[in-house]
Amino acid sequence: MRNLLIFLAGAVALIALPHGLSFSQQEILVFLTINILLVSSYRLLTLTGEWSLGHVVIMGVGAYASALFTKEMGIYVPVSILLGGITAALLAVVLSFPLFRMKGFYFLIGSFAAGEIIRLLWKRFRDPFGGPKGIKGIDPMPDFSIGIYDFDFFEPVSYYYLSGAVVAVCLWVLWRIERSPVGLTFHAVHWQDKLAEASGVNLRAYRTLAFAIASGFAGIGGALLAHYVGTINPNSFDVEVMVFVLTWAIVGGTGTFYGPILGCVVLTILNEIVLREMGFEQMRPLIYGAIMILSILFMPKGLESVVQKIFSRKAPDNATGQEAKT
Amino acid sequence: MLSKIVKSGLTRRTFLQSTAAAAASSSLPRAALAVDKVIKIGFLAPLTGPVAAWGKPGLDGCEIWAERVNAAGGIKLGDGDYMVEFVGYDNEYDPAKARTGATKLIREDGVSFIMMLGGDTWPGVQPVADKTGMLFSTLLPSDLSPDTTTLIAPAEVHPIYNVTGVEWLAENKPELKTAVMCAQDDALGLPSVATYLAAFEAAGIEMLDDPLLFDPATTDFAPVVTKLISGNPDIVCLDTCYSDYVHPIAEQLFQQGYEGQIISCTADFYDQMIEKTSEEFLEGFVFQFPDFDDMALNAENINFEDPNGFYFEFNKRYPGQWGAVSWEYASIMDLWKAAAEKAGSAEPDAVIAAMKDGGTGKHAFGDASWWGEELFGIDNALVGDWPVVVIESGKARIKEFRNIPAWYDKHGDLLVKHMKAYDQMWDQRS
Repeated sequence: MRNLLIFLAGAVALIALPHGLSFSQQEILVFLTINILLVSSYRLLTLTGEWSLGHVVIMGVGAYASALFTKEMGIYVPVSILLGGITAALLAVVLSFPLFRMKGFYFLIGSFAAGEIIRLLWKRFRDPFGGPKGIKGIDPMPDFSIGIYDFDFFEPVSYYYLSGAVVAVCLWVLWRIERSPVGLTFHAVHWQDKLAEASGVNLRAYRTLAFAIASGFAGIGGALLAHYVGTINPNSFDVEVMVFVLTWAIVGGTGTFYGPILGCVVLTILNEIVLREMGFEQMRPLIYGAIMILSILFMPKGLESVVQKIFSRKAPDNATGQEAKT
Repeated sequence: MLSKIVKSGLTRRTFLQSTAAAAASSSLPRAALAVDKVIKIGFLAPLTGPVAAWGKPGLDGCEIWAERVNAAGGIKLGDGDYMVEFVGYDNEYDPAKARTGATKLIREDGVSFIMMLGGDTWPGVQPVADKTGMLFSTLLPSDLSPDTTTLIAPAEVHPIYNVTGVEWLAENKPELKTAVMCAQDDALGLPSVATYLAAFEAAGIEMLDDPLLFDPATTDFAPVVTKLISGNPDIVCLDTCYSDYVHPIAEQLFQQGYEGQIISCTADFYDQMIEKTSEEFLEGFVFQFPDFDDMALNAENINFEDPNGFYFEFNKRYPGQWGAVSWEYASIMDLWKAAAEKAGSAEPDAVIAAMKDGGTGKHAFGDASWWGEELFGIDNALVGDWPVVVIESGKARIKEFRNIPAWYDKHGDLLVKHMKAYDQMWDQRS
C-alpha cells in the first residue's frame, strides 16, 4: 500500500512537472526523458562487463531507420518508432559477430570503430541518408485528442507525456530484465564468467542478447528524438555525445538501476539550466568538466553512493526506533 | 479546459501574445527601474565548441553595435524610442539545442528578431519559425527555401561570394593553371566545394583531382595535406574550412614545403597562422573577409557605419579575436534597424516587408539586391559586391570589390551544375 502511494505520488509529480517549468525547460525535459532511456539502456550492456563507444550511433540507427520508414515508406510514426528500435537491435546482432570476438578494451575500441563506420555510411550515401546534412522534415508524431487533453506534439509538454510514457514502459521492461534470471546471468557473465561458462552459460550469446536489447531501447530513444526535432544528421550521434553518456553513467554510478538516471538528470540540469541561468553560458564546458573531475575524485562510486549512504543512515535509525517500540 | 488552454498556445497570434506576456512579466523589475523601453534581439549561435569562432565574435560585435545605437538614442519605432538588448543562447551547433534556444528566446525572452549562424542547426529551428512567424536571419543562404518566408540571409551569401576570389586570382595571376581542394564533409563544406568548382571551371583553372573531403572529426591533417599536394598544384583551395582546420592545414602546407598559392573562404585569426608558419609563407593568401581597419571600407558606397572605429573598439575589448563574423551580425542589425524604423514596428511581417521593399537593400559592402530564387527557391538573400582580401606583409588588405550577380549572370549555369552534382540545390535537400 505504501509503495503504491509512493508510485502514485511520483506519477502525479511527473505529470504535473512540465507545468511548473518554463518553455525552454520543458524542451530540455523532453530531451532529458529521452536521454534517460539512452543511459539506462547503456547500463544494461555494462551489466555484462562490456563498455561500448558506439551506443549513441546505435541510437542514431533507430533515429535514421524510423525517419526513413516514415519518409520513404509512409509508415505510421508510432509504428516506425518501434521499427526503429527493432532495426537498431537487429543491427546490434549483426555487429555482435565481429565485436564479440573481442573483450574489454578491445571491444571498446571495436565498438567505436563500428560506430564510426556507420556514421561514415550515413555521410557517404546521400541517398537515402542525406549525407552530412542528414535528414530533415521528418514527420512529427500525429496529433490526437483523448477528450480531456489534446496532444499537439509540437508542444514540448505533449511530447514529454508521449516520450515519458514510452520511456516508463521501456524502463520497466529493462528493470524486469535485470531482475529476471537473464539479468542475473548478465551479472554472472561480468563477474564470474569462467564459473558461468563452466555452468553451461553461453557467454557470447548472453553478451549478444544484452547488446541487442540495449541497442533496441537506444534505437527507440533515437526515434523519439528524430520525430521531435524533425532533423537528424551524423554529427548528432558523434563521439562527443557518447562522452556525455559515459559521463552520466560514471558520475551517476552503474551499480544500481537508478545510478545512471541520477547522473543524467543531475548533470543535464546543471549543464543546461543552472549554468545557463547563472550566466555562465560560454564557460559551461569548463565548469562542467571541473565538476565532473571533482565528482570522480570525491565520489568515486558515483552519485548513487550518496543516495545509498543517506538511506543506510536512515535504516539504522528506523531499526532503532522499531527496537524501542518492541 | 486544460486541453483548450494548451491548444490556445499553438496559433501564431497566441504564440506572440504569450511571448509578449512572458517578456513583460520577466522584465517587470527592470521596467520599474528603467524608463527606457527595451527591444530584445535573439542571438542563437554556437558560443562554445568547434564552431564557436563563427558565433562568439559575432555576439561580441553585436554588443558594441548595441552600445553605439543606444548611445545615439536607440531604435525609433512608431510608439517611441527603444533601447536594444541582445539575448544570447549557445546552441553548440546542435539542432535540438537550437530548437530549445529558439523556444526560449521567443516565448520567454520575447525577442523581436533572431540571428543565427544556420547550417546544421536551422532544420531544428525551422518548425519553430514556421509556427511562430518569427523573423530569423542566417549567415548560410543554403538554409533558404520557399518553405520559410521569414528566414533571410542579409549579410553574406555564402558560399557564392567565393567566386570573386577565384575570379580575381585568375585575372591577376594568370600563370596559375591547376588547383586542388579540401573541405570538411558537412553542410558548410559541400556547397562551398560546388561553388569553388564552378569558379575554377569558369576561370579556366584545371582541378587536378576530385575535392578531398575529410571528416569533421579529423585532427591530424598531415596525410590530408600530403595527398593534397602530391600532384604539385599551383593553387591549394581550403574551401570553407572552420578555423580549427584552416590553421593546421596551413601549418602542414608550410611544414611539407608547399610554395604555391593558397585560397580560402576565411582566414580567421590569421596573425596566429603567421606565428605558426611565416609572413613569407602566407604572403598572397587570398580569402574573403577583410579587417575593418581597411581604408577601402571608408568609401562612400560602404553602408557599415564607422568600420574603422568598430574594428578598433572590437580589438581593444577582444584582442586577437577579430574574425569573419565579427561584423556580420552587426551589419544584419543595421539592416533590421533601418527596416524596423521604416516600418515603425518590430513586428516580423512589417520588418521583412520594409526590408525587401523595392527589391534592394543596403548591404554592408554597398547597395545590393534581394536575390536567390534560382538557387534557393526564394529571393531572400541580399547580394551585391564582395571584397577580395589578400594577406600582404602580414596584414589583410582588400584588393578589390567584385560583383556577385555579375559573375552569376555569366556563369550561373556552371554553379547550378555543380550544386546539383552535390545535391545542394534547394529542391534537392532531403
